[in-house]
Amino acid sequence: MTTYQFLTTAWRWNSILLIFCALALAGYFLAFRRRGRPAYFGAALVVFLLALTSPVNALADGYLFSAHMVQHILLVLIVPALLLLSLPRSFSLPRPLIAFTHPLIGWLAGVGAMWLWHVPALCNAATTSRAISAIQTTSLLLMGSVFWWQVLAPRETERLSPGVGIVYLFTACTACSILGIILTFAPVSICSVYQHPVDRLGMLGTIRGWGLTSDRDQQIGGLLMWVPMCLIYLAAILAQLARWHSDAAPQTEEFNA
Amino acid sequence: MNGTTTIAEFRDAILDPAKRAHYRLAWLSTVDHKRIGVLYMLTALVFFIIGGVEALFIRLQLAVPNNDFLHPDTFNKLFTLHGTTMIFLVAMPALFGFVNYVLPLQVGARDMAFPRLNAFGYWCQPFGGILLHFSILAGGAPAVGWFSYAPLSETPYSSTPGIDYWAVALFVLGLGTISFAINTIATVISCRGPGVTMRRLPLFTWMNFINSFLILIALPVLNAGLAMILIDRQLEGHFFLPFRGGSAVLWQHIFWAFGHPEVYIVVLPAFGMVSEIIPVFSRKPIFGYEFVAASTVAIVVLSSLVWGHHMFTVGMGRPMDLFFIITSMLIAIPTGVKVLNWSATMFGGRIRFDVPMLFCIAFLIQFTLAGLTGVSHASAALDWQTKNSYFLVAHFHFVFVGAIVFAMLGALPYWFPKMSGRMMSESLGRWTFWLWVIGFNMTFIIQHVLGLYGMPRRIFTYPDIPGWGWMNMLSTIGVFFMGAGSLVLLWNIAYSFFRGRVAGDNPWDAWTLEWATTSPPPHENFVALPPIHSRRPLWDVANPDRPDPPVGDDQVVLPDHNKTGILAFIFSEVGFFGTLILAYLYFYAHPQAGPGPKELDVQRTLVFSVCLFASSFTFWRSEIAMSKRNRGPMLGWLTLTIALGGVFLVGQGMEYWKLFQTGVDVSTNLFSTTFFTLTGFHGLHVLLGLVALLIFLWLAWRGDFALGSEPAFAAAGYYWHFVDIVWVFVLLTVYILPLLR
Repeated sequence: MTTYQFLTTAWRWNSILLIFCALALAGYFLAFRRRGRPAYFGAALVVFLLALTSPVNALADGYLFSAHMVQHILLVLIVPALLLLSLPRSFSLPRPLIAFTHPLIGWLAGVGAMWLWHVPALCNAATTSRAISAIQTTSLLLMGSVFWWQVLAPRETERLSPGVGIVYLFTACTACSILGIILTFAPVSICSVYQHPVDRLGMLGTIRGWGLTSDRDQQIGGLLMWVPMCLIYLAAILAQLARWHSDAAPQTEEFNA
Repeated sequence: MNGTTTIAEFRDAILDPAKRAHYRLAWLSTVDHKRIGVLYMLTALVFFIIGGVEALFIRLQLAVPNNDFLHPDTFNKLFTLHGTTMIFLVAMPALFGFVNYVLPLQVGARDMAFPRLNAFGYWCQPFGGILLHFSILAGGAPAVGWFSYAPLSETPYSSTPGIDYWAVALFVLGLGTISFAINTIATVISCRGPGVTMRRLPLFTWMNFINSFLILIALPVLNAGLAMILIDRQLEGHFFLPFRGGSAVLWQHIFWAFGHPEVYIVVLPAFGMVSEIIPVFSRKPIFGYEFVAASTVAIVVLSSLVWGHHMFTVGMGRPMDLFFIITSMLIAIPTGVKVLNWSATMFGGRIRFDVPMLFCIAFLIQFTLAGLTGVSHASAALDWQTKNSYFLVAHFHFVFVGAIVFAMLGALPYWFPKMSGRMMSESLGRWTFWLWVIGFNMTFIIQHVLGLYGMPRRIFTYPDIPGWGWMNMLSTIGVFFMGAGSLVLLWNIAYSFFRGRVAGDNPWDAWTLEWATTSPPPHENFVALPPIHSRRPLWDVANPDRPDPPVGDDQVVLPDHNKTGILAFIFSEVGFFGTLILAYLYFYAHPQAGPGPKELDVQRTLVFSVCLFASSFTFWRSEIAMSKRNRGPMLGWLTLTIALGGVFLVGQGMEYWKLFQTGVDVSTNLFSTTFFTLTGFHGLHVLLGLVALLIFLWLAWRGDFALGSEPAFAAAGYYWHFVDIVWVFVLLTVYILPLLR
């Protein structure tokens, strides 16, 4: 199979996913009507579908660790962030979920989502079993949302103050970088499934033709977690600084004058 | 007032016995941030002369082809000492001197948060500098370059003690630098004056505050690497020796993971200086304060992600090259933002071309050129061609001299009036300026060309290739211009100190708080602070009818400085232990013949680990007892904490003893080297914690501090808990991980 053929045919329009997205869209409009920010919600759905139906998914499905990592980043950092941004300002969590809004839990969820699913056994299981893969996807979205809640909660009062937010994001960035560094330099395969892929699509020759040996593939995976991931956190840190500096001057000044 | 001291008064002060005693001891025992700042700068000046003479010899040797003025080995020693001296003993102490003097004044503090720690940090500088240069007398200076690449720096290839002195000296300097950074962070967070909110910090203060975090990220990594190379050399460890399974490339990763942030550690304070001087001499507030401030944070994060661009020629593989290319190029954005903002500040301003401003304008031009050649090195393909050539030498001298030295030469006449009470001579300053600008460009612009013509660096001489001779000669002649400029500078400092025009409190009509007090400031810095509602309080005072719009509200939150300081210290320790753990994992993945994790007694260690973890609990109980003012339980729980910590150390001792009995020590194989290094440093930290807790026990037992909320005790607790948390990770890595295999 050539690269062109692969890029055009490797889309999996999984009906469960499509139905789920349609229901989510309907639910969003029913729940929030005009109060929400549907552009963000639409973007979240598009990224979500891209991650799970596009050729990236086909490659992540047993061929390339680096493609798995792209999927991982999209599901844990991008989609949850867009989902939280799509919520209306007035949104508040149902009472039982308040427990998840402690910063420590948020931090552990965000960092844990990275580390947990790269324990060799779990990483392999998620690629070989459909059920565990579905659990992985769900858990990434949930843990990502719990992580971002501290920074992107709809109500300003429920967010961390900008200074603490920067510490929160920077330490998370460091914790993920360390994992990225370990993956990049590990001489052994972390996710052994990707070392000797089962060539279900007849694609392996083409992929190796791109110059992606299994060693390089894992290196790229580690580097993706290390560098672009950190750039996402860095963007969030800069957003915190912007938020800090944009605080309006105290209104009392005008009354005094 | 000191500002009007005449020579006669100065002479009286020296000749009067009572005052002389004061002078003699006051400068040696001082904990005043202003005096320590001056000491830092004087130390830097001394080493600047030493490093400059070293550079002069290097250029004399290279002035003509086939020169035999210096022995090749002497040449190697000279460029090693020149690089190490200029970075660790000139750039850093000089910049820290300015920060020490100016930063507490800018935030309206009486002193740094920890004055005695500040003195400790300073005294590390001359001590480290003397250690480094003592190697010349002790059997041979290091001759391996300031980066000290392994395995050349290992015993089989460098048998003289030069590298040992180099490593110990840098370790000492690193400790001083880390304590300085902790102090800076604690001062900014916990010692600001009324109205000085974090959003109103002057850019010099803000950049040095952020820079201190970069120091705490980078320096511990170097310290870990230095500890490893010392273990290799002194205890026959195996870290960086390829023929014993070690990795020479690992040293490069560790060194540059420190080395690249180091460039920003010395350039960010220079950015801060320029950000103060340009607005004052353009008579405009800085353009886009928020962007200049935020881009500093971006630089700090990005600079920790780009060290690989120093290693393109090592052969890291295409994926790593690619990612490091991208991040290295990205870092041009936040620096570019700064250059644009400085230029925009000058645009449309009423520019006063005094010496400080002249140097800042030169800085802007030279730094932009340095940045352009810098971006060219971010491209691996180009880097392969130019890496080991004079093109690179020219690039980093544009950064270090064209940017950092020029910024400092501008900052000196800017703040000299505050420090001495007298203005520096403007005409002598212009001589210095032109001699430096001409000399610097004469020396280094041509080196770009030499590099592109293929002249390699780190060579003691070169054949008579057409063109190389006159270019090198030109480069050497430039050094004499810079040397002459330096002599004029020294004369200017000495002359102005005694005869300079009296400055007054605010000679430049500047706007930040250091100009709100006398020149030089009284011991306690301020009699009273002006009201502060914006970033330019003195502008508001001078122009009550059109003050700057207020920035944020006036409420200042000051956390306890003990807790802030210890948290900053813990932040630095994360980098130290992180490096050691990653090095352990790196070698764990390549198992060697001989002893391995299977020799360790996991069950016994788990039992002793429980003791250590329990000690965190008992400490917490002790803290509660303290806050309830129950002296008995407090002493009891604290004693139990110390006992549990001691039991843990005994357990570690048993583990070590058993290994020694079976003939396993640091030098056996890579497992033993990494194991003893990692657990040994942790044990050392437990021991230090125990000493600290014993001091607290003694003080509490004597009743020397009032029970109640005692932040220092809580700070010691943070450290103790941290040592326990580190053990969680060490336990997982060393003991639990092999069980999962």
